[in-house]
Amino acid sequence: LSASELEEKYGTSINKGLSSSRAAEILARDGPNSLTPPKATPEIVKFLKQMVGGFSILLWIGAVFSWISFGIQFAQGAESPFDNLYLGVVLALVVILTGIFAYYQEAKSTNIMASFSKMIPQQALVIRDAEKKELPAEQLVVGDIVEIKGGDRIPADIRLISAQGCKVDNSSLTGESEPQSRSCDFTHENPLETKNIAFYSTTCVEGTATGIVINTGDRTVIGRIASLASGVGNEKTPIAIEIEHFVYLVAGVAISIGVLFFIISVSMRYKILDSIIFLIGIIVANVPEGLLATVTVSLSLTAKRMAKKNCLVKNLEAVETLGSTSIICSDKTGTLTQNRMTVAHLWFDNQIYSADTSEDQTTQPFDQSSPSWTALSKIVTLCNRAEFRPGQENLPIMKRVVVGDASETALLKFAEVILGDVMSIRAQNKKVAEIPFNSTNKFQLSIHETDDPNDKRFLLVMKGAPERILERCSTIMINGKEEPLDSEKAEAFQTAYMELGGMGERVLGFCHLYLPENEFPDTYPFDTDSMNFPTSNLCFVGLLSMIDPPRSTVPDAVSKCRSAGIKVIMVTGDHPITAKAIAKSVGIISATSETVEDIAKRLNIPVEQVNRREATAAVVNGMELKDMSLQQLDDILCNHSEIVFARTSPQQKLIIVEGCQRQGAVVAVTGDGVNDSPALKKADIGIAMGIAGSDAAKNAADMVLLDDNFASIVTGVEEGRLIFDNLKKTIAYTLTKNIAELCPFLIYIIASIPMPIGTITILFIDLGTDIIPSVALAYEKAESDIMNRRPRNKKKDRLVNEQLAVYSYLQIGIIQSVGAFVTYFTVYAEQGFLPSTLLGVRVDWENNAINDFEDSYGQEWTKYQRMYLQWTGYTAFFVILQVLYLTQGRIIRKLFIRRYPGSWWDKNMYY
Amino acid sequence: MATLNEKKTCSERMENFRRFVWNPETKLFMGRTLINWVWISLYYLAFYVVMTGLFALSIYSLMRTVNPYEPDYQDQLKSPGVTLRPDVYGDRGLQIYYNISENKTWERLVTTLQTFLTAYTPAAQHLNVNCTGDKYFIQDTFDGPNNTKLSCKFTSDMLQNCSGIADPTFGFPEGKPCFIIKMNRIIKFYPGNGTAPRVDCTYVGDESRPLEVDYYPVNGTFNLHYFPYYGKKAQPTYSNPLVAVKFLNITRNVELKIVCKIIGAGITFDNVHDPYEGKVEFKLKIED
Repeated sequence: LSASELEEKYGTSINKGLSSSRAAEILARDGPNSLTPPKATPEIVKFLKQMVGGFSILLWIGAVFSWISFGIQFAQGAESPFDNLYLGVVLALVVILTGIFAYYQEAKSTNIMASFSKMIPQQALVIRDAEKKELPAEQLVVGDIVEIKGGDRIPADIRLISAQGCKVDNSSLTGESEPQSRSCDFTHENPLETKNIAFYSTTCVEGTATGIVINTGDRTVIGRIASLASGVGNEKTPIAIEIEHFVYLVAGVAISIGVLFFIISVSMRYKILDSIIFLIGIIVANVPEGLLATVTVSLSLTAKRMAKKNCLVKNLEAVETLGSTSIICSDKTGTLTQNRMTVAHLWFDNQIYSADTSEDQTTQPFDQSSPSWTALSKIVTLCNRAEFRPGQENLPIMKRVVVGDASETALLKFAEVILGDVMSIRAQNKKVAEIPFNSTNKFQLSIHETDDPNDKRFLLVMKGAPERILERCSTIMINGKEEPLDSEKAEAFQTAYMELGGMGERVLGFCHLYLPENEFPDTYPFDTDSMNFPTSNLCFVGLLSMIDPPRSTVPDAVSKCRSAGIKVIMVTGDHPITAKAIAKSVGIISATSETVEDIAKRLNIPVEQVNRREATAAVVNGMELKDMSLQQLDDILCNHSEIVFARTSPQQKLIIVEGCQRQGAVVAVTGDGVNDSPALKKADIGIAMGIAGSDAAKNAADMVLLDDNFASIVTGVEEGRLIFDNLKKTIAYTLTKNIAELCPFLIYIIASIPMPIGTITILFIDLGTDIIPSVALAYEKAESDIMNRRPRNKKKDRLVNEQLAVYSYLQIGIIQSVGAFVTYFTVYAEQGFLPSTLLGVRVDWENNAINDFEDSYGQEWTKYQRMYLQWTGYTAFFVILQVLYLTQGRIIRKLFIRRYPGSWWDKNMYY
Repeated sequence: MATLNEKKTCSERMENFRRFVWNPETKLFMGRTLINWVWISLYYLAFYVVMTGLFALSIYSLMRTVNPYEPDYQDQLKSPGVTLRPDVYGDRGLQIYYNISENKTWERLVTTLQTFLTAYTPAAQHLNVNCTGDKYFIQDTFDGPNNTKLSCKFTSDMLQNCSGIADPTFGFPEGKPCFIIKMNRIIKFYPGNGTAPRVDCTYVGDESRPLEVDYYPVNGTFNLHYFPYYGKKAQPTYSNPLVAVKFLNITRNVELKIVCKIIGAGITFDNVHDPYEGKVEFKLKIED
């Protein structure tokens, strides 16, 4: 569309802009130009949600049953039915208090989140009523004419109508790390690819442009992605599923035992109502009262520990999810890489040198003795417009802020690291003329005086696209000497260029020329427009290649993930070559593995003939992905262990995540951009970057890496696995205890003995003395091999499996019960009631009307005296259980700690 | 995704379950081979046999170590409980209500007393010895038959007017009912510190209001020669001494609250938690 057609379509004028009244009209129609924030769950709903999660339900049911039981007993006029009332109240209180605690924990992390997003009201320069006005970006409407310049955030989706050297950084939208140039030419069908549209929320890196607003608010590209994210449902966390499984198990056991004993008690001629009370009693006794609190406390302890290691957990349950993660889909830019260009390789003297690309470089290790390097370094230093912002002398070079584009910044920092004060070198070599880089000539040129006062020649330095630079050269510098550029040397150049390019690096060529003093005297008027100086027959000096390098901690982290059995998949919006290069350098594609294309190249056969099974690695382009069926995608995910997805759109990221989940994997997604947010939300655990991450990403994520460091994920995985192991121990501990607490009640019904342990005493154990050892289990140290085993299988490695339950219930529980009952009988015998007397005395024992109850020695007891003895029995039972748990803690540690083949636990033991 | 959310149908579930119970391919019964199940059963059998054995052994050694004559600890029985006959309990403790004109209402009470006193007939007491001294009957040796200790006779005739011999209705129809007060047995308990403890009945909360009572035996005392009690094994024929109280002037048609305390050193009746320790409280209402 031409400018005038645009004017017509949007009812505006390029020179005058919209009239204020018209703008107000459209504003009223379309609403403000801002993203509708995701519907925030009301705090009260969040709070209530904490109260009804899987585990809480069990406690609620327990509480309700207790109250029913209390009601029945109260109606019957029994003496002390209040135990059941209290029990119900305590159960309810536990749920509520734990809920408040969990809510508080999550609210705390939410607050930390909130502090990140400092919203600065954005201004936009708009032409309205033929005047330039600064308006808040929210008031922009379709048809407004806006002007943008370098450094601005683009206030809406804009169709450019004029542009001067405009470049935008689309990384938050597409994940491309390099700024894209923008002009007013229509270049592509796809609006995302075409050059004449700039998108809302991206930034203009340099240049200026004017454009018509074509979309505002939620209708912008970014708005659509954001709404895509909110449309994605949240998956249940693995730990929630585990806890649900556990609840089923406990409920199953409770109801089976309850019904069994209901039948027994009915056939033992108990009254039906009494039997119902027993039934309820048994069910309630099976509820592990303390476990909810323990689990919550353990999770939040871990969350706290992770926060210290820069993993902020938004959702408590997500703590464990990371531990069971089997696939990590990682974004490239900013997560795996440092998100800034850095010089990676140099080529001079026919040799490739590698540079240090780590975050905190202070020196460069390559050989700097060659005179060619001296020449090259001079060009790098001089032919560069980037500058440090003043006042940063104390900062490390890598942290200083630079004005200039990404590659110039990289070169500047590179030079500063090696040569020291670049600014003073530039000052000594005064610049006399300059041609800045533009896309037509693809080079940058400047002419300087030399710093040698005896040398009156001017130095012409040039950098640019290597092939263009080479075209302009006739000689090449080898070891400081200019040699003619013959075909052999050109060949060497080509090889080096291809090699560097093949590594996904952006290559720049450098050349120079000392202008002869006689032709270009001191006063020579250099004119950059007419180019009254030679720009050919220069001397080629070398190549420099740059890349957004991986963070130094990443390769190690990736290999750790590998050894932990976690598949790391790279999903990026960037180019396949760059993506593959980064993947190789961080180990996502290991050194030995090949893609189908690599094999084809090696065997010199067409790609189609390669056996796809042979290739362990795969690089999949977004375009290919588009044409793939779900089946094919599954194939790729299954058959290749090392996968890189490049050039992917937000929807495709979502599809990839879903594909992984279809394989039964627990998927973690890391990302920072808005384009990642749907995938973040869809993933079992979304991990957002705290520093670079956009608000949308942080909102969608379950976890935020405060230091943007992929390595923190490894810590998270470790902590997650640890908490899973420890919860397992905690639950084993709680389950065994359950039997020792349930058995007395069962024996009480069957053998009609005085109650061995009371409800309140049990509560004392579960909510009092036992919380501490249970929570202490959360502090258990990790096993040394925790990071060397495969992630747990969602279907097989349950938090509570049958083995653990059966072992707890039928073995340890029984041993404890036997021990406790020996104590019980001893206490009663020592006080005068021998075991033979106790059997079957329940009814008389509890009868208020019998105040001369005879013991085995002929002494007579009033009701109260009997009750007092019963309480003594409770205490004895309580104490012995504590002692038994003490020893059991050791047993649990020994037995449950390992789940390795060959361990005692994993052998097919006859449980 | 459709494949993810696919719910299993009921028949599929049944099929899965059937396969779980018996899988013909792998020959697994409930997830294990039959021989495996046998081993497991054997293991559990052995495990529980051992556990039962351990339990039995513990109880056996417990029984071997306890003293057959007296319990090792008596800290729970410091002061004896007191009971009343006839004992009819209502919602809040003893309630003895009856109507003189309705025979049925008091015949029940009379029967209770008669049954209670059958243990005190001369025939029932014939193994016990007659005691005369008003001192504790301390026996350090086993002088009785079959290596036991002697017990003192207490026969119902000692309750005189309330013995049920002269008046088989225990005065109930006349509105002057007899009640029997019994003190609980405690091994080696020496009540009264040398003076015989006695029963004292008053109106509850109104100690000054006189309550006309006859006590049998005289003064309502428990003679000291019934103490101490040496336990069931040492004194198999021991029977508790009794005190009968006959209320002579009970206001009709009014619910009266009466408490009978046992007065004597070592007997406490001020335990707020235990209404039957050292005293017995009851409500009495005689209608006509």
